[in-house]
Parts: sequence; C-alpha cells; structure tokens
Amino acid sequence: MKSSKRRNGFLVACIAPAVILFFVFMILPTLNVFRMSLYEKGAYSQTETFVGMKNFQVLINDSNFIRSMQNMILLIVTVTIVTFALALIFAAILTREKIKGQNFFRIVFYIPNILSIVVIAGIFSAIYKPENGMLNSIIGLFRDMTNPILWKGESLVMVSLIMAMVWQAIGYYMVMYMASMSSVPESLYESSNLDGAGRLTQFFQITIPLIWTNIRTTLTFFIISTINMAFLFVKAMTSGGPNGASEVTLSYMYSQKDAGLYGYSMAIGVVIFLFSFALSAMVNKVTDREPLEF
Amino acid sequence: MKKKILCTIMSVSMVASLLAGCGSDPGKQSNSDAGTSDDAGASDDAGTSDDAGASDDVGASVDPGTEAGAGTDDAYAALAGTTINVAAIETAYGSEMWQEVADAFTAETGIQVELTTDKNLEDVIGPSMQGGEYPDVIHLATGRDAALTEQFIKDNMIADITDVLSMTVPGETAAVSDKIAGGFTDTSLTNPYGDGKTYLAPMFYSPCGLFYNAGLLEEKGWTVPTTWDEMWELGDKAKEEEIYLFTYPTTGYFDAFFYALMYSVGGPEFFDKATHYEEGIWETPEAKTCFDIIAKLATYTNPTTPAQANDQDFTQNQQLVLDNKAIFMPNGTWIVGEMAEAPRAEGFQWGMTALPAVSSGGDSYSYTWFEQAWIPSGAENQDAGKVFVSFLYSDKACEIFAQHGAIQPVLGIADKLEGDNVMFYSIYDNGAKAAMGNFAAFDAIPGVEVRTVFLDPVNSLVSGTMTEDEWIASVISASDQMRENLK
Repeated sequence: MKSSKRRNGFLVACIAPAVILFFVFMILPTLNVFRMSLYEKGAYSQTETFVGMKNFQVLINDSNFIRSMQNMILLIVTVTIVTFALALIFAAILTREKIKGQNFFRIVFYIPNILSIVVIAGIFSAIYKPENGMLNSIIGLFRDMTNPILWKGESLVMVSLIMAMVWQAIGYYMVMYMASMSSVPESLYESSNLDGAGRLTQFFQITIPLIWTNIRTTLTFFIISTINMAFLFVKAMTSGGPNGASEVTLSYMYSQKDAGLYGYSMAIGVVIFLFSFALSAMVNKVTDREPLEF
Repeated sequence: MKKKILCTIMSVSMVASLLAGCGSDPGKQSNSDAGTSDDAGASDDAGTSDDAGASDDVGASVDPGTEAGAGTDDAYAALAGTTINVAAIETAYGSEMWQEVADAFTAETGIQVELTTDKNLEDVIGPSMQGGEYPDVIHLATGRDAALTEQFIKDNMIADITDVLSMTVPGETAAVSDKIAGGFTDTSLTNPYGDGKTYLAPMFYSPCGLFYNAGLLEEKGWTVPTTWDEMWELGDKAKEEEIYLFTYPTTGYFDAFFYALMYSVGGPEFFDKATHYEEGIWETPEAKTCFDIIAKLATYTNPTTPAQANDQDFTQNQQLVLDNKAIFMPNGTWIVGEMAEAPRAEGFQWGMTALPAVSSGGDSYSYTWFEQAWIPSGAENQDAGKVFVSFLYSDKACEIFAQHGAIQPVLGIADKLEGDNVMFYSIYDNGAKAAMGNFAAFDAIPGVEVRTVFLDPVNSLVSGTMTEDEWIASVISASDQMRENLK
C-alpha cells in the first residue's frame, strides 16, 4: 500500500514538470488563439475589444482571404499528389532495381531536405530569373526568348512554388518509403514472379498494400507540413506577390497581424487550425484499410 | 527500477526539450551590450562627477533642455546615470553611425545608451514590446512591410514630443525647432492626427525621384523629359533601340512616385483631399489623369519587372537600369550605396530628375522621403529619451550621420554633402518643388491597406491582368472604407 503510494508520488513528480510546461506552452497558447479570434486589438496595444463572431463574418467576405485559401488548397493537393507519386516511384526503383550508384542517388535526392528553405528559395530564384536564369536558358535552346518566361510572374508563380516545394519534399518521403519497402520480404516478389506478375503488378499489388500504414502516416505529415512550408516558401521567394497572386493563408494571416489586426489574424489562425484538423481526419478516414502483415 | 530510471530520463529530456526554446542566443545578447560597455566607465564619471550636488537646481525640471541655456554640463545631471534603450533600424546607411552618435550623446550628457540595431528591427524588439517592455527611443520609418510604426500610430501608442521642438539641443544654444528645416514638422508623417501636435521626429531625408543612367542619355543624345508627353516620346524612341522606358524595384517604391504625381497633377489641395479619402475624389479629372499616367507608364515598363518586384529580387530590377535595359526607375538617394558593388554598363553615371510636369510650364515635384524617430508612450525614460531625440539634430550628430550618407533635415546641411549627394539634394534648387505627406492614418480594416490598394495593382497593370478601370473601381471602394475609419 505504502509502496504503491510512493510509486504514484514518484510518477506524478516525473510527469508533472512536462505536463505543466506542455500545458503552459502548448495548450494555453492554442486556447488563446481561439479566444483572441473573438477580440480585436493591435499587435502591440494592451487593450482589446470583444467583437464576438464579427472577425469570422468579415473573413467569409474577404476576397483576399478566399484567394489565399484557394492557393493553399491548390498547393496541398498538387504538391501532395506529385511528391507522393514521384517519391513512391523513386523509392521503388532504388529499392527494387539494381542500379549503379544507388547510394549516390539516395544522397542526391535527400540533400534538398537538409538545406534551409531560405537557401532553396535563393537557388530557385536564380533558376527562375527571367534573363539568364537556368530554366529560361535551357528553354531558350528550343524557342525564341525575346519575351522571357516570367516564372515569378502573376500567371506562373504558383507553378514555380509547386516545383520548388516538390523538389524540397521528395527526398524525405522517398527515404521513408524506402525504409518500409526494404522490409517487405523478398520471397513475396519471388513467388509473384513465378506466378507471372510483372513489375507494375508487383508495385501495385504487393508494395503499395504492404506499406499502406506508412503512406497513411505520411499523408497526415504532408498536410501539416505543406501548410507550414507554403508560408516559408512564399515569405522567402515571393513575399506574396505579384499583387497577392501567391499569397497563402498563413502569409495572409501574418500580413493582417502587421496591418494591426491581431484578432482578425487569429481568426484566420482558427480557420487554418480547424481546416488542417478536419483535412487530416478526413484523409485518415478515407485511407482506412485493414492493415496487411507479411 | 529500470523502468523508473527510464521514466526519469524521459521526463527530464522532455522538460529539457521544452525549455530549449526559452534560451536566448548568447551571441546576440553580448553583441548588443558590447557597444555600450566600453564607454560606460568613462562617461559615468563625466556625467555625475562633481556636479552631482548641483542637481537640486535642475532636479525638478522635466525638460532639462529648455532651462539649460549655455550651462549644458549641469543641465543633464539629473538624468545622468540613467540608461536609455535606443532601437534603430539598420538600413543602407549601416549601423556604426548609431553607435558613434550614442557615444557622442553619452559624452555630452552623461546619459547612458543601450543600443539595439538590426535590419529586421521589428522582429528583435517586437516580442518584448508585446510583453509591455518598450525601448525609450525607436528609429523606424513608416512604409515598411511589418508596419510597426503605423500600428503604434493607429493604436495611439506614441508619446507627444511637441515639447522637444522647444528644447535646446544638448551642447548648443539653438532650440530644436530652429535647426529643423521648414515644413518637416508640419506633415502628416510627423503629426499623424492632424491636431498640431508632433509625435514623430523627422529623420534622414532623401529626395525621391526618377533615377536614370545619365551616361546613356548623353550617348544617345536624348534629353531628360520635362513633361509626360516628352516622356512618352522618349519611350517610343527607346523602344526602337530595345530599351524600355521604365522599371521599378517593388511596388512599394510607387508611394513616393504616387504622392509626387498627385502634387504635380492637382497641387497641394488635391493631394490633401486625396490623402484624406474625400468622397468622390477619385472620380475627379485630376485623379483620372494620375491613373492614366500610371496605366500608360505600365505599358512602357520592362515586362520582366513584376516577376522581380518582390523583397528578394528587387535588386534585379534596379540592375535593369544599370544594364541599360530600362531608363527610369523611382528611387531614393540610397540607391547609389545600395548598388555600389553591382556591375554596370560602360559610361554609367547616376542621374536623378523630379517627376515630369503634366503640361509644359506646370510644376514638377520630387517627393521628400524621410524616416521617423519616436518615443513609445509606454517607454520608461521618456525625459531622457526626449533629450536623445533633441541631440539627433546637433551639429555633431548631423555630421556623424552625414559621413555615412544619412542626411538630417536640418538647415545648412547642404554644406556637408559630398559626391553624388550634392547633385541629388540640389534637385529642389533646380526648380522642383518638394512634396511631403502621406495617406492619412485610419483604423485597420481587414484586407484593406494603402499598399495593397494603391500600389500593388501596378504589378497587375504591367502584366496586363488588370485594367485601369478595375483598378480605379477597387481604389474607390477601398477609399470609401478608409474614410469611414479615418482616425
């Protein structure tokens, strides 16, 4: 009896510091975001006024917010699909096929992940430069370049962002898929080979189903990281321009804070919070399968 | 037992990882301290030394400067020993000059200065200000992306410094108002609420105008256009030689351009009405002329401009002028230092002109851009802060600033100018009128900012995704909201 009490006391003592810190630095700020979304105040002023749901009502009619939301959804969908497809294909090739310099490719694909976003933004700014940028120079070999392609212009800026984000993300997910693919027993492939299954069939019938749990986890990662990464890329590459064409929700939230609308930007924060939560839950539900074991 | 140990290790590491974020960068800390620590010993003695007893005489005075007269050494005894926090943005002029001025100030008054300078000053001082700790003096201009100064104006969080104008400059006999050049303390940039009180002190001014390669114009035998019609003619001529007439670093640079344009089209009266969003002002012929000129200019703009008009690539647009791929760009005198290391076309020589007049014989204007220094109303040492602000106009400080290219708006500064600056600052002697002021402050409106409404659409005009009429319509609807929220 006495020892179990002591035991419990010890456990509480162990857990308490972490729980308290977690509560103070994680839970409280999150709750505060929700509370602040019902108020209006400048970022630096000490006074706040309660405005109820007004911030949200304005939000629905704010065309800039809607555009930034559209841009963010576009990024989440396209970056996820493209990165997924490419990461899976590269992972399958690098684990299943015998290619010379396999390790070299592994490292090359992973390098973008080590680089900071600011460095990547710098690299891509150089690649996208209208005159004598790398991309336009290469295209210039095939067509007349008197009117250079404006990669960071209004019509292409989102495409440019997508390309940079895909380039950055592929390596990380590829490594994750490679890890789980290499644990799929070789015998499954051998026996399917005897049954006459080709590489594509093996990929879809064996590899994908067996690493499905991993795919599900990474999908959730994706949604959260794309929302965050989009902000970093936009800040470091385009500052939301030209004329707001590449503004995403988080960068719009940031700019509204700078405009002196702290409560309003918190309302945007709440929308993003709920949106990413709902999307993750939805993706989790949709991809739910009976886990296969080998 | 093993479990217990594991448990302990895990919880400790979890706590540690949570606390890791709280640690501040020790390198940075020592950096900001470093500047002041050297001089601390010496100036401590200087300020308080033998005069300490005499402090009773001036102890009661709130503005030591006003009563100071010639005996400045005694005047600041009451404040000597206090330490003020000064935060200044580091711009193209560098940050050394601030340290030098702070040292000179300490030597003069005995007031210690703890200096913080950074290129992204908002990120450095912002968090502690949100916690209620304010620097005593902040030098940070309006018009920056983070718009910190604007937020302080909107929230009425800036101290009234009208009395600084009547204070005596430390170490001199003249009052601050006698030193500041005319007009600088009458604008909406220094008196944001239009109540005749000064809240922001005018700092480093720079005539803004159109910058160009004088060497190119000379080589081609082209003359600098004095009216917009001549401008379009030059544009057509240049186009034949595959040179575009115009480019701009970012749309942010259009503020000075837009203000000067409004002045030259409709004079001060129109400018005043427009910047206060008067009803129907954007439907007047004057406003239409302004919009028309910018829309036409958009068609003469180097088409690569919008793709580079962001905070990362704007120097590429400035490079277009250096490479003779565009003739004019709106800019300020700091451009010379900013692009000093950049490669340039042969025979390149900086030239600067005011905005052309609307018709021949009309007025041409150059916008006077200047920065602001101010005291947050939450600052602790406001009196000492005011003394510091008054010192910024002393001959000593002006000289230090001028050595680094930063020109204070004081009388007689022309004699201290060197190099290209002589030509730039003489723009007003050569017939151009000075345009000053800005859009009136309004309570923040979601999604509506001066920059996004008036300036950013120029990018879309150039790339052809927006028509002039669409732009005007959006300006009118935003302007209506701004009027309703005027401070």
